[in-house]
Amino acid sequence: MKFKDYYEILGVGRTATADEIKKAYRKLAHQYHPDVSKDPAGEEKFKEIGEAYATLKDTEKRAAYDELGRHPSGQEFKPPPNWAGHQGGQEYSFEDVDFADLFASFSKGRQHSQQQRHNMPIPGQDYELATQVSLEDAYQGITVDLSFTVPEYDDQGQLRRVPHTFKARIPKGVTNGQKMLLRGKGGKGFHGGPDGNLYLNISFIPHKLFRVVEHDLFIDLPLTPWEAALGATVKVPTLAGEVNLKVPAGTSSGQKLRISKRGMPKHNQEHGDLYAVTQIVVPTDLTDKDRELLQALAGSSTFNPRAHF
Amino acid sequence: MQIDQTELIWLDEHHEVSLDELIELSGLSQEELHHLVEIGALTPNESIEGHGITKDLRFSSQCIVSIRTLSRLKHDFELEQNALGLMLVFLERIRNLELQLSVFNPTKQ
Repeated sequence: MKFKDYYEILGVGRTATADEIKKAYRKLAHQYHPDVSKDPAGEEKFKEIGEAYATLKDTEKRAAYDELGRHPSGQEFKPPPNWAGHQGGQEYSFEDVDFADLFASFSKGRQHSQQQRHNMPIPGQDYELATQVSLEDAYQGITVDLSFTVPEYDDQGQLRRVPHTFKARIPKGVTNGQKMLLRGKGGKGFHGGPDGNLYLNISFIPHKLFRVVEHDLFIDLPLTPWEAALGATVKVPTLAGEVNLKVPAGTSSGQKLRISKRGMPKHNQEHGDLYAVTQIVVPTDLTDKDRELLQALAGSSTFNPRAHF
Repeated sequence: MQIDQTELIWLDEHHEVSLDELIELSGLSQEELHHLVEIGALTPNESIEGHGITKDLRFSSQCIVSIRTLSRLKHDFELEQNALGLMLVFLERIRNLELQLSVFNPTKQ
């Protein structure tokens, strides 16, 4: 494991008072907390800040941390033998242990005897995972593989990071940003403590054709000027195959033509709608014949779209 | 490694959780959740009859998202109970605004 200088992370001296540590934490929390800050790196930074504060604000944990001595941040590190948190005489591999886990069993007012730690129920942690699915997969429903590593207590009461893999069925009807819960699939509890939960945040991979709003889909529908003016039947792709759409005569740009029940499925077996948003597109490469016809139309038509100017 | 086929529970307006489940999932205490219901920051699906708040209350499972954020903020910023109601109102307002905003900026490649 790598050493972390918690005093450096909080920007305080090693002799900082509890008050100074609290003030430093609050300032950094406002700056980096993921629920408050827009900094994209905030979540990672706050994790370190939170760890540092959780250790230094607790007198027992702070004492155990200070006992480790000063080391450069990021340096490979192992607690010395007979360190406060070490079970006497036994050798442990710290490869799978996160630095913060060293102090997990300390708490103010609680004795850190081996026996007491062994008998205490420890609830498992909740975890959040994000997964992305394609629109096509969300439309059909899909089974996804979820892999993550969680800390679990071994028989000696030491924390180890253990990988887990789950297959989870994402049913039809999810929306972009849907959140779901897997009960008891988070970190393992210990000594009768309940297992944590796993929260899954589902988002859609951006689609090259469709935009999603709740259960409705939107697709841009390019039309020629003559299709828009005269009306036409055009083929429109949907997630369940192509459909023929009748474009009424006199259609302008920006109109939404509704294709009923061709959106995303809802959880109650119904479907949202697909809206084709018209865009009149003008050819940039005119043949002589095209130009002649358009000039004739320009000369004979009395249509004035700027009459209101 | 453990490979497991697992059912998912939806967190949306179509599904419900009980007060006990909300206590277990949110990390807030029964007292804190009662406080939020009493001041109207958290609205149960069923109306409260008579005096007091019963354990039969059910809530939209969608509220778990905001309540967990509230619990996290309470822990990380060491908030007092009185601040929780106001915080929850603003969290819900932000969530609704973000949903409305997504209408004008939907996902597209």
